[in-house]
Amino acid sequence: MTPTMVEAKVNEKNVEVAWTPSGRAPVPGGVAAAAFMAAMLGMLTLAVVNVFTASFKTFNAWVFGIGKLWMPGAEGIGPYSGKETLALAAWLGSWVILHLVLRKKDVEISRCLIVFLIGVGIATTLIWPPVFEHLAGWIGGAH
Amino acid sequence: MSVFQDTHEMKEASTGSLVAVVAIMIASALGFTLMTAPFEKLLGPGGGALPAALHGMMAFLYLFVGTIGLYLGWRLMTGHIRAFADLQLLSVVAATFSFLAICFGNWLYIFYRAPIPDSPRSYFVKNIPAVHGVFFEFKEFGALFTLPLAVCAAFILWRYGLQALERRWLRYSVAVLFGLAFFYLVVAFGLGAAVTKLKAA
Repeated sequence: MTPTMVEAKVNEKNVEVAWTPSGRAPVPGGVAAAAFMAAMLGMLTLAVVNVFTASFKTFNAWVFGIGKLWMPGAEGIGPYSGKETLALAAWLGSWVILHLVLRKKDVEISRCLIVFLIGVGIATTLIWPPVFEHLAGWIGGAH
Repeated sequence: MSVFQDTHEMKEASTGSLVAVVAIMIASALGFTLMTAPFEKLLGPGGGALPAALHGMMAFLYLFVGTIGLYLGWRLMTGHIRAFADLQLLSVVAATFSFLAICFGNWLYIFYRAPIPDSPRSYFVKNIPAVHGVFFEFKEFGALFTLPLAVCAAFILWRYGLQALERRWLRYSVAVLFGLAFFYLVVAFGLGAAVTKLKAA
């Protein structure tokens, strides 16, 4: 059995973690940053696509068509199937790209977390119906 | 000052045996239920009774796992976690339940928005528009947010492994992921339960 170390960390007050020393090479912060940013982009895509489907009927129909391309039961699910599809594509697609770009870079996780929280906050605000309906009316009315 | 000590633990049950125990327990419960009760009455009369039961069950299981994850995430953030391997496993289970709840939710949504006068959406639009227009709409999008958050947490915990413990901001970030996923889960679960209570599919 591998022994477990209990270490009191000097530079962090009252911090104590149980861990088994790893012989693996340090993983760069860019790997986590890519995962965070991709998740945020997926959530933002869902929110933004939803605003625009509420704004434009033609875009709504196109989004519905995307869902019908592959999702079982999309006919019954409606445009929601396309919104899910686009969010999924944005999330996984951006993750692959960002991972390839950032995987060897030592990105600061603290900055990444702040950007992530701002993005998630915007996405959450945009999916609140009174907000997205108001925005959709404003965007749709402007064209 | 660093203090190191060996922890001599009893040999733990393997993951396979734990999964087997859970599977046997669920199978026993289902078996007794099916033998002693009319299953169709248990599910309910609606056309969406089966997807509703499966969606609700996945969401309920995710709520259990999510609650434990929230606690372990807090322990991770404060740097007092000792069950790191459990958190790793739990993160994968949480992501799986999130995915399954979304899949069954999609199936159930077909019955929810069926273009018939008796479907829940038709009922809400006619009688209580705010339930569909605000609460259900927010729930259906918020629920989807749990998947990228849960997958991201699981990925980081497995990819970084024990290195996650040594990096303060990574610990904070993963804890935030668990917290956010729990928030959207509770929003979706609460609103979903309320909508079902008002008019089941």
